[in-house]
Amino acid sequence: MKKNAEIIVIGGGVIGTSIAYHLAKRGRRVTLLEKDDLASGSSGACDIDIILQSKNPGIHLQLAMKSAELYKELARELDCDIEYENTGGMILIEDEKQMGAMREFVSRQKATGLEVELLDFKEASKLQRGLSPHLLGATYSSMDAHVNPMRLCFAFARAARQMGAEILTGTPAVDIRVKGGRVKSVLAGSEEIETDTVINAAGVYAPAICKMVGLSAPIKPRRGQIIVTEPVPRFVMGDVLSARYIAAKYNPRLLEGSDDLETRLGVGLSLSQTRNGNLLIGGCREFAGYDKKTTYEALKAILTHATRHVPLLRGIHVIRSFAGLRPYTPDGLPILGPVREVEGFIMAAGHEGDGIALSPITGKIISDLVVDGKSDIDLKPLGLERFAV
Amino acid sequence: MKDEYICRCEEVTRQEIEEAIADGATTISGIKRRTRAGMGLCQGRTCRRLITQMLSKVKDAAEITPPTSRPPVRAIKIGEILEGEDD
Repeated sequence: MKKNAEIIVIGGGVIGTSIAYHLAKRGRRVTLLEKDDLASGSSGACDIDIILQSKNPGIHLQLAMKSAELYKELARELDCDIEYENTGGMILIEDEKQMGAMREFVSRQKATGLEVELLDFKEASKLQRGLSPHLLGATYSSMDAHVNPMRLCFAFARAARQMGAEILTGTPAVDIRVKGGRVKSVLAGSEEIETDTVINAAGVYAPAICKMVGLSAPIKPRRGQIIVTEPVPRFVMGDVLSARYIAAKYNPRLLEGSDDLETRLGVGLSLSQTRNGNLLIGGCREFAGYDKKTTYEALKAILTHATRHVPLLRGIHVIRSFAGLRPYTPDGLPILGPVREVEGFIMAAGHEGDGIALSPITGKIISDLVVDGKSDIDLKPLGLERFAV
Repeated sequence: MKDEYICRCEEVTRQEIEEAIADGATTISGIKRRTRAGMGLCQGRTCRRLITQMLSKVKDAAEITPPTSRPPVRAIKIGEILEGEDD
């Protein structure tokens, strides 16, 4: 008899393991396929931030806020310390132009229900020491948080396994068989597994999985580089971003006309401190294919930007740098839900830099879809169909 | 034996590394992500060989790939990087 699975999840990052966890919790028999190791891609090459403030007001922020609620439960539920901490976070503002843009961003976020406020330089300095005196102020939200993404990913997988999920690492999805418009089986390594439900949680590799069923997904790898410092005594208040981070993420047009390095590499500050005391200093957003190298040019541009905001960083030692590929979509929203063309094929990819923040809600949405046939979240703006011409 | 430090920078014991291998780690990076071994100041210079040895019990030694090398080679002050020469 051929092997079979009720549901096959493709991808062992934080999205795939969250989905496997949520499905197993609801009593479903899941098999997860991961071509390398858990957290070996983008989920193991990112920072620790769960930032609500960086989300676009509207459905994006709503998803992140629901996810933030789920995080509090998860931190209690998972049998492993995921280093979740509700730290709060701020976005540093350098000039009047940024102030105008952030004022507008904040008022739209408030309308979506986020607790966020504008601080002047003096107030901002009380929250984070070492700020450059040229800064005008910052936004602040008490709702921002931290988590250790690798611990989260392993914890999801372990808990899923304990509830009966099968986690197959070193096992690529080689092909998907479709018959009469329905998913039939997945070729996992050299073994064919029959199933009627496949979930594509392959992140930057999701387009290759889509191709197996004749679909195309506009997900592109966008490289982010991050610098790691030696451990230092508690220094960073939580998540500290720069307004330029927001501009690079959503309004690259705001930066158009300036042809400097910072703009070309999509540099924006994202500063945080791990529980072990290491600082993580990011980052940038570049389209460089699937190349995961770090570059001297970007590392230097990131550090120039970071020390302009927080000059005190200059005396701290760098011990490492790394790069991860964020699954970019043209509208900045993930692709979630079923597809019209192939019954049983469900998308859960394209979270760009928000995968960690959105992993709990993504797991919940997909498990609700599979088990109940619906989600309480309107998935229309998140479907793959939105990109159809 | 079980509580001896394999990664001294991050104080990761032999037992923790054995647990990571039991959890499915088959690479030095996989062990690093599960335990922090190799994430410290020396960036795995000392523990890499010990961990490779431990991994070779479950995996053909020829297939154990070294972890990705990343700059900087040695710890360097941020200020010094920024004052470095551009070419």
